[in-house]
Amino acid sequence: MPASFLLRRALRSGGVGGAVLIYLAMVGMLEKFAPLDLVGTALPLSRLLVLSAPAVAGYVAVRPRIHAGEVQRPTAGPAMAAGAAAGAAAGAVAVAWMVLVRTIGVDALRGIFVSVTEGALGVLAFGLGPAAGAAVLVPAAAAAGAVGAAVRHVPGPVARALGLALASTLLFALLQRIVPTVLFELGLDPYWMYDRVHGGLTYLGALVVLGVSGVGSWQTAARRARVERRIREVPPEARRAVRLVGVAVLLLVLWVTPQLIGSVLSEIMGTVGVFLLMALGLNIVVGYAGLLDLGYVAFFAAGAYTLGLLTGANLVTAFGLVPPAIVAHLDFWAAVPLVMLVAAVVGLLIGAPVLRLRGDYLAIVTLGFGEIVRILVTSNWLKPLVGGAQGLRDVTDAAIFGIGFRDPQRFFYLVTGFCLLAIFVSRRLANSRVGRAWNAMREDEQVAEAMGISTTNYKLLAFATGGALGCLSGALFAVKLGTIQPGSFEIPVSITALAIVILGGMGSIPGVVVGALILMGLPGLLAEFEEFRFLMYGAVLIAIMILRPQGLVPNVRRMRELQEEERLQDAWLRAQEARGEALTGAGEEGS
Amino acid sequence: MALLECRGLTKSFGGLAALQDLDLEVSPGEIVSVIGPNGAGKTTLFNVITGIYEPDQGEVWFNGHNITGLKPNQITKLGIARTFQTVHLFPNMTVLENAMVGQHCRTRAGLFASILRLPWQRAEEERVRAKARQALAFFGPRLTGYREDQPASMLSYANRRRLEIARALATEPKLLLLDEPTAGMNPVETQELTRLIGKMRDELGLTILVIEHDMRVVKGVSDRVVALDHGRKIAEGSYEEVAHDERVIEAYLGRRAVESA
Repeated sequence: MPASFLLRRALRSGGVGGAVLIYLAMVGMLEKFAPLDLVGTALPLSRLLVLSAPAVAGYVAVRPRIHAGEVQRPTAGPAMAAGAAAGAAAGAVAVAWMVLVRTIGVDALRGIFVSVTEGALGVLAFGLGPAAGAAVLVPAAAAAGAVGAAVRHVPGPVARALGLALASTLLFALLQRIVPTVLFELGLDPYWMYDRVHGGLTYLGALVVLGVSGVGSWQTAARRARVERRIREVPPEARRAVRLVGVAVLLLVLWVTPQLIGSVLSEIMGTVGVFLLMALGLNIVVGYAGLLDLGYVAFFAAGAYTLGLLTGANLVTAFGLVPPAIVAHLDFWAAVPLVMLVAAVVGLLIGAPVLRLRGDYLAIVTLGFGEIVRILVTSNWLKPLVGGAQGLRDVTDAAIFGIGFRDPQRFFYLVTGFCLLAIFVSRRLANSRVGRAWNAMREDEQVAEAMGISTTNYKLLAFATGGALGCLSGALFAVKLGTIQPGSFEIPVSITALAIVILGGMGSIPGVVVGALILMGLPGLLAEFEEFRFLMYGAVLIAIMILRPQGLVPNVRRMRELQEEERLQDAWLRAQEARGEALTGAGEEGS
Repeated sequence: MALLECRGLTKSFGGLAALQDLDLEVSPGEIVSVIGPNGAGKTTLFNVITGIYEPDQGEVWFNGHNITGLKPNQITKLGIARTFQTVHLFPNMTVLENAMVGQHCRTRAGLFASILRLPWQRAEEERVRAKARQALAFFGPRLTGYREDQPASMLSYANRRRLEIARALATEPKLLLLDEPTAGMNPVETQELTRLIGKMRDELGLTILVIEHDMRVVKGVSDRVVALDHGRKIAEGSYEEVAHDERVIEAYLGRRAVESA
């Protein structure tokens, strides 16, 4: 590849990398993440971000090129040079921006760009003065770019092991508020691994995690094929026994989890559980039946308010607490079946008008339904029933024999119980006549109808079933908080649930669990992330669509679907051929 | 009495008349071929019979019921199954699952039975599996064994066509509509399928209506041939009669060809 071309491309991707750096600084991410130490004090999350932009620029700059009918890949030397150039360019762009900001003056800019602060500039300058900072940033970015470019020349197995090791180190570093607590509760000393003062991994801890996971993944990669074969050879009865043991272990782990992670983290896990339950419901609608529902929050709200009204919640008014216009005083457990019944009715109400819609149109209309529900619950018209903007208070607790579940650690059990139930139901449905019908409908609605499946009924069934789980999650949400505020039922809830399903892999239950843990658990664990929650959802969704459209833990079936394109083309070509042949055939016979 | 009877079917799309006052009768156990040049209304006829389109005028009677205006899934349940001109499988479901979907309309396990996995539901699943395997086995070893668990999209083109027929067979139809079943197949495969179409009638007792372009196939399978052009029936009778009908030749080759012949 000619050097001039490499250089041009390096500058181009470096420029984009620099723009990313500026963006990260201007949204305030760099400053916000600066106190979050990952390893020792040398690597706060902000610094990792500053270095990763040039690294990606370097990686992108040396991508193969097709020129004059040949594939051109730069060799290691020029590639590293180009990567360094790209990184340096990114650094230089950031430096130029810093100079510009300084010239205009930070205070003058603050009026418009609230996040442009000394702190953000300080992160980009590695905590040094303007001149020294620039002198460090550019070479550091160049080095990062060179590393990014070098990644393409690391042999596959090594790259995989290394990638996994780095990813698990990052994960352990990000879980700095949960792992030490768990270790401590287990009676182990966490402080050789985690820094007591700064929170992140100690250098020793980082090295150990890096080494163990690197060696571990290297070893398992080598043995993987053999292990997989042995798993396949296990007889069905034994496999069943293994599965039972697995489930028992899982239950045991879940049983001790709240004690291990403590009250604060249990609280977060409770929220994760509520969203997991909701995403499991949405997974039936979107993942199984292929109906893109953007107004899923409607069910969440319906569940919460129905539970409130059935169990005797009160309205907050100017005259103090008053009971709503219609209210029952049931026990939580007596109300749950009714909530699910209401859910099914709501599912039918939403499902019936959209039966003829598909894809984009369905998405838009359901989005509208989500808004309708939000407007209804805040309206004056329904105020005597659901309390308008003030909402409901005094939602009952889900007590068994007088033992309540509002305490975060107990709530964990409640929500986990319902999630396990939802997983059980989802799995059973997936491998049944109903699941097959949904599947067939998702793949080709018209053909499913022609094969004797009433698509009308199965769409409604999907809305009702998924809606029941969505309502249940809403009811649990109300129990968890004890109050119901209309602000909790806005569009972002739908988007979050959908993001969970997409990130994990549509139609895949383990995927949904992983998706909920990442998208709900991480921002909960790291307060720093909370502010950028939706920015990160967007970034994660874009990344997943580009890099791994089938999701993190894909459903096998979905994976195939995405590889379908070329086969369709193949079929088309054959059909064309056939058409040609048939015509000649007919001609011969006719004359 | 005729198993299928179309009376005065008319269907137009905008100004284009796809079917014009078409009458068609198919007796039980008959194999009838529908031929005609492109755009003659053959596939529209299938779509009207199976309920995908509702006719503008006319009625479709099947097995003593007026099925005009019924939904496709209801018509399938009554006993009409079809294949499509371009293969329409469920590409990401396995071969066996595709055939099992065909059994949908003959089974009844719903939401709760499936969740609770009631004994009768399990027995039904076993039966569905067995029936689906039986339908696949109709094509000999091509769709059985290890192929059962392959996604349908991995099959060869001819096998996809076969699977589509197997899926239709799994609905346990009385009348089978095949839309260009041999399109895209090589001569050997075509010959084999021609033989199998006869076997479906003889062994499974099916009545078959088939759209076909390949005249060798038409000659090989048909008891009766119906020729369409511009949505009208222009000829009907044995293969010999229809193949030498002047209007049919004209429809395929145009007027001048007839004059010069």
